[in-house]
Amino acid sequence: MEQRSQLYGVMGEFDTPEQIMAAARKTHEAGYKRVTAYTPFPIEGLAEAIGFKWTAVPLLTMIGGLGGGLTGFAMQYWMMAVSYPLNIGGRPLNSWPAFIPVTFELTILGAASFAVFGMLALNKLPEPYHPVFNVDRFAHASTDKFFLCIEARDPKFNLAETARFLRGLNAQHVSEVKDE
Amino acid sequence: MSASEPPVNSPDLRRLDPVLAPGHTYASVTDKIAAVVLTRPLGIGWLAGFTVAFGVVMVLFASLAWLIIKGVGIWGINVPIGWGFAIVNFVWWIGIGHAGTLISAILFLLNQKWRTSINRFAEAMTLFAVACAGIFPLIHTGRPWMAFYMFPYPSTMGVWPQFRSPLIWDVFAVSTYGTVSLLFWFVGLLPDLATLRDRAKTRTQQVIYGALSLGWRNSAHHWHRYQSAYLLLAGLATPLVLSVHTVVSFDFSVAIVPGWHTTIFPPYFVAGAIYSGFAMVLTLAIPLRKVYGLEDFITMRHLENMAKVMLATGLIVAYGYFVEFFMAFYSGNKFDVFLATQRLHGPYSHFYFALILCNILTPQLLWFEKVRRNVVALFLMSLVINTGMWLERFVIVVISLTRDFMPSAWGRYSATFWDYSTFVGTLGLFVMLIFLFVRGLPAIAISEMRELVAHQSNGKKENE
Amino acid sequence: MEKLTSPYKWGMVIDLDRCTGCGACVVACQAENNIPVVGKDQVMRGREMHWIRVDRYYHAESATNDASTYSPSLDNPETFFQPVPCMQCENAPCEQVCPVDATVHSAEGLNDMVYNRCIGTRYCSNNCPYKVRRFNFLRFQDWDTPQLKLMRNPEVTVRSRGVMEKCTYCVQRINNVRIDAEKQNRPIRDAEIVTACESACPSEAIVFGNANDPSSRVAKLKAQQRNYSILAEINARPRTTYLAAVRNPNAELEKA
Repeated sequence: MEQRSQLYGVMGEFDTPEQIMAAARKTHEAGYKRVTAYTPFPIEGLAEAIGFKWTAVPLLTMIGGLGGGLTGFAMQYWMMAVSYPLNIGGRPLNSWPAFIPVTFELTILGAASFAVFGMLALNKLPEPYHPVFNVDRFAHASTDKFFLCIEARDPKFNLAETARFLRGLNAQHVSEVKDE
Repeated sequence: MSASEPPVNSPDLRRLDPVLAPGHTYASVTDKIAAVVLTRPLGIGWLAGFTVAFGVVMVLFASLAWLIIKGVGIWGINVPIGWGFAIVNFVWWIGIGHAGTLISAILFLLNQKWRTSINRFAEAMTLFAVACAGIFPLIHTGRPWMAFYMFPYPSTMGVWPQFRSPLIWDVFAVSTYGTVSLLFWFVGLLPDLATLRDRAKTRTQQVIYGALSLGWRNSAHHWHRYQSAYLLLAGLATPLVLSVHTVVSFDFSVAIVPGWHTTIFPPYFVAGAIYSGFAMVLTLAIPLRKVYGLEDFITMRHLENMAKVMLATGLIVAYGYFVEFFMAFYSGNKFDVFLATQRLHGPYSHFYFALILCNILTPQLLWFEKVRRNVVALFLMSLVINTGMWLERFVIVVISLTRDFMPSAWGRYSATFWDYSTFVGTLGLFVMLIFLFVRGLPAIAISEMRELVAHQSNGKKENE
Repeated sequence: MEKLTSPYKWGMVIDLDRCTGCGACVVACQAENNIPVVGKDQVMRGREMHWIRVDRYYHAESATNDASTYSPSLDNPETFFQPVPCMQCENAPCEQVCPVDATVHSAEGLNDMVYNRCIGTRYCSNNCPYKVRRFNFLRFQDWDTPQLKLMRNPEVTVRSRGVMEKCTYCVQRINNVRIDAEKQNRPIRDAEIVTACESACPSEAIVFGNANDPSSRVAKLKAQQRNYSILAEINARPRTTYLAAVRNPNAELEKA
């Protein structure tokens, strides 16, 4: 199999959240669409600045919650009133007040699991390999530096021009990101 | 510090206790916290403490083995007191766990910055407390090897669990609580695991943290979804934590036993859980910050705030005690009135008075700023409060069972060696897990601390 | 959904006037139902296994004995005995709290204890206001001595460690009679089922029967004015009721 190292993109490193926010806005204004940013902590508004629109996580959570709750109640009703009804101290078979705690807990469980696994799935995690890890400086993304990467897939991408553009935004280091 | 700020020792500055000591950068907070896991050598203190805790866990295993071999009769329970230490311990441990979720979820929703340096180990505390708690409902049954009957699976007998029973509600509530707490904790840990992966000093560390971090690369798109999920989890965990201890309180309030059958229990138990939980967080935070030099991150502001929460929840618990008495007498129900007087005059009244001393009287010292700002006093206070909360569960569970409706069936409860050894064993398990956690995972949420640094430097810029 | 019904409504009446506190019912029940002897140490710990117990109530009007009047005193109180088996409550508090359906209500009104389903949480015992339930805290049964196997009643399960047990209205006797009656294609007659405690009682204080049959002894006794249930305010609706003791001593008799 051919082991050709392809170019993934160009990445610039910044020192503060304000710098990367400004850089991100300028990059978006310049017409670049395939842009990703990497920060050691979440920055308000950064994802939107580089084109992120909408996340399905809240919707998934609601689906999980409703599903969990309905399953919980239906399960209890079916088990207590349909499948094997028993006289338990003369209590009604459909003791819906008594079914509330389990229904509530399963709602929360459903919602929380869908939120977490939905978030991971939408983020396509686990993803043990990604080209940005090939840049040595990138380890700082989990400590104290902020990175802006313009992908080679972007229609406006040109290695020399895009690198110059990033340098023009006062990036500290501009590196090529190779996919190896 | 600019010239306009007051000098170091003035009372005005004390009120401005920072959430994060000034002078830190993204790198310095990361270095400090990650170093505890990655580079700091295992000191004699850690090794000695771990060895002792491990020994106590062996005592736990021996107690559990003897329990399975002989039966639940090795404990002090009988008829009428069918529930003794095991259920007291279960409720105590679950209660302790609630503070972690409150700090993580509720303080997050309330935008309280002081949650940041304490939420990680508080959540770990929750998980370990739930683990210790979960042992008891399993082992206290007469036939624990059949405890799976409580789960809704299609059985050969065709029967299902009996969903009207509070014990089944417990199964679902505690399982959900453990799962959601674990998910919440893990989600919070993801970015920090990535940090440890990127700073790993050995290949083993790199592989383990790399695997656990799932390839997290701090992408802004990922952060966006992450924030969304985190906020939703916090919003879900809040009613969850309120509901779990409510469901645990239903074990008692749904029964007809006088002294148990009272509607004050759900809020009283939840407040008590937060009370004991914060006490345990203090018990852990104070040595942790001292030993690992984390006073810049867990500051006096945190300790004082936790003390204030303890005081507030202590007052709610005191209100609960008052309502119990009031409702007993107001109802005129002879059994409830009798039970209330039994707490004061009966054979176990000394436990009740010890409880009042530990839970109501001693914590009133927290009204005084001098006490709240004295680290040793806070540590001792946290131990006293947790003792008091244990006594509270003992008073509720055991005293009500000793003397209920029919005098011919009254009895006495006397704990045996195995009751104590099992309880102490779970304390050892908890301590051992905390020791492992402190060295294996970042005890403070690194990425959130970086947010605090950013927030602080923004604040500085606004002042300039 | 099929609803199980039955023409029989089992009930029991215990006449407290007739009960002398002899304890024969306790012994008979133990023999009939393979109840283990737990030994002095376990009894001291509160773990005796008798399914029926005899409660004693003392009545005293003064502290010391006054020979001139018939007046019970602390030195010489009046004693009332009350045998307490399982009440077989219609609104059983024990059934509601069992997490695994190990105690359920039969169509004939019996609170059925399902040994093989019981996982031993003891919540039912806590919730029983009459405290008639017994728990096998240890393996109280002797599995080893061969002679003891001959002693046991083969019609009653021998319970092992970790399960709850209680008075069953001698359900094995009920079922035996029911089988016979079905074979002979006739209804069960009154006084045909005799529970162990009923058979041993020398003064016939315990009466068991079908409360649905107005001609049965049990139905007639339950209709009496003296009939009451204990802890009635809890609304557990016990099927075991009592006839209140009435004492009316002749004052002349005591003065002698």
